[in-house]
Amino acid sequence: MNLHALLISPFSYEFMRRALFSAVLLGVSGGLIGCVLVLRRLALMGDALSHSLLPGVAAAWYFFGTSTTALFFGGLAAGLLTALGSALLSRMTRVKEDAAFGSLFIVFFAAGVALVSKLPSRINLADFLFGNVLGVSAGELRLATAVSVLTVLVFVLFYRSVLLETFDPVFHRATGGRGGLVHMGFLTLTVLNLVAAMQTMGIVLALGLFLLPAVSAYLWCDRFLTMLLLSVAFAVVDSALGIVLSFHAGLASGAAIVLCLGVVFVVSALFSPRHGALGALKLGTERRPAA
Amino acid sequence: MPEDQDIISFQGVTVRYGRVTALEDVTFNIPCGSSTAVLGGNGAGKSTLLRAVMGWQRLAAGEIRIGDEHPHHARPRLAYVPQRHSVDWDFPITVRGVVEQGRYPALRLFRRLAKSDHDQVNAAMEELGIAHLADRQIRMLSGGQQQRVFLARAVAQGGDIFLLDEPFAGLDLFGSEELTHILRGWAVQGRTVLAAVHDLGIARSCFTRGVLLKTRLVAVGLIDDVLSPINIDSAYRGGRCVHEGHTHAAGHGEARP
Repeated sequence: MNLHALLISPFSYEFMRRALFSAVLLGVSGGLIGCVLVLRRLALMGDALSHSLLPGVAAAWYFFGTSTTALFFGGLAAGLLTALGSALLSRMTRVKEDAAFGSLFIVFFAAGVALVSKLPSRINLADFLFGNVLGVSAGELRLATAVSVLTVLVFVLFYRSVLLETFDPVFHRATGGRGGLVHMGFLTLTVLNLVAAMQTMGIVLALGLFLLPAVSAYLWCDRFLTMLLLSVAFAVVDSALGIVLSFHAGLASGAAIVLCLGVVFVVSALFSPRHGALGALKLGTERRPAA
Repeated sequence: MPEDQDIISFQGVTVRYGRVTALEDVTFNIPCGSSTAVLGGNGAGKSTLLRAVMGWQRLAAGEIRIGDEHPHHARPRLAYVPQRHSVDWDFPITVRGVVEQGRYPALRLFRRLAKSDHDQVNAAMEELGIAHLADRQIRMLSGGQQQRVFLARAVAQGGDIFLLDEPFAGLDLFGSEELTHILRGWAVQGRTVLAAVHDLGIARSCFTRGVLLKTRLVAVGLIDDVLSPINIDSAYRGGRCVHEGHTHAAGHGEARP
């Protein structure tokens, strides 16, 4: 098999081009979002958030069919309900925020699975969960484009606020920053990206496209801007590779993309000279000085 | 007496969190150009007082004026230095990157740092003796150096009133001495410093004035007058809250008469 057949010919199909564009666009925004998730230690919360989209999407499907708009708003509503619900729950009861999030999302996810099993049989639960390149419609590509452009714009325009709120929220507030607003805006942006990534990545795996490139970049970089750019680069390249892999190997596209990102992550974690495991072993010292 | 322009005044300041009263009917003035330690046990209202000066805390009663302004309008004069352990020092950012943050509030949206901003950043790093560390990632610094990065960021803001939340927390002996030296220098330069401090020995050696709190105001004035045995006893041990008094008497050698 030559290079052309390997890399170029898959994209003679319309659906493959759409899947590629959608994955690459969401790689750009996912790479950005992921950096903030990693640095603010919101990784697991993001995971919970992505699972909680399922009932919204399933309900939208049940009532409105395959309309992109309906799926989008269904997912958005479910995601925001989980985020706000757990914030309220942790303020008004004894339950802490992580437990509140964990409890709410699992209930939402169960409701979603239950709903999907009641849907007409032509809909496959696996597509929801793990992604299906065949599924990207023109409407969904437009949605991915809009969400990606919006995310990039927010990061470019509010770069300093994002940096301050991520690094030192107290100082951000002391200098007149609207921390709560930035945080809520960020959560909303995360949900938007998760919903848009659902077709290619699937609900269970979507967060991989955000998290893995960011963690990998984190292992190489000592500057925030460099980390953002490297994370985007990892996400874009591996999304494209993953789409190709899923075509040739007949894999679920979400799984293929996450596996490609996983390779980068494992290599980074082992071989990054300053922050990787082997580097620490070679130096013979613990990386982290005692506090 | 200093003019109105040059004092931070607290008039009957009361702050409540739900049913808990953190500060009650606190009235005093701080002359600008002095360095003042805010003292008291845990829950005595030290941090609350600083937060109130920043204008973060809705006052249940009373008023705080900075010069003749409400704290919200005095923000350009204020530089806040958070506790050192409140940030993740593994964050991918260099010393220069952190100090540059001091210039962010003065920048308009879409504007980049101008030459004058860079000059201020460099001057702040020079002043705190961290210019040679400018390109280091912040984990690669000692505790004292990390504290100086935070101070440089505050200096780069260009305000004249510095609010420090437990600046000595977690510093080793050398780091504390270094910081004492810096803060004494600031006092000589006429910068206003208001710092929450736990250690009474450090408070004596580093600050000229003190405010001793126990929800209510216990004492205010020159540091040696404030830290008289009687005042210490009533701030750290007296009163109704017996269980708190015990903790603090155990934690501070100086608290014993």
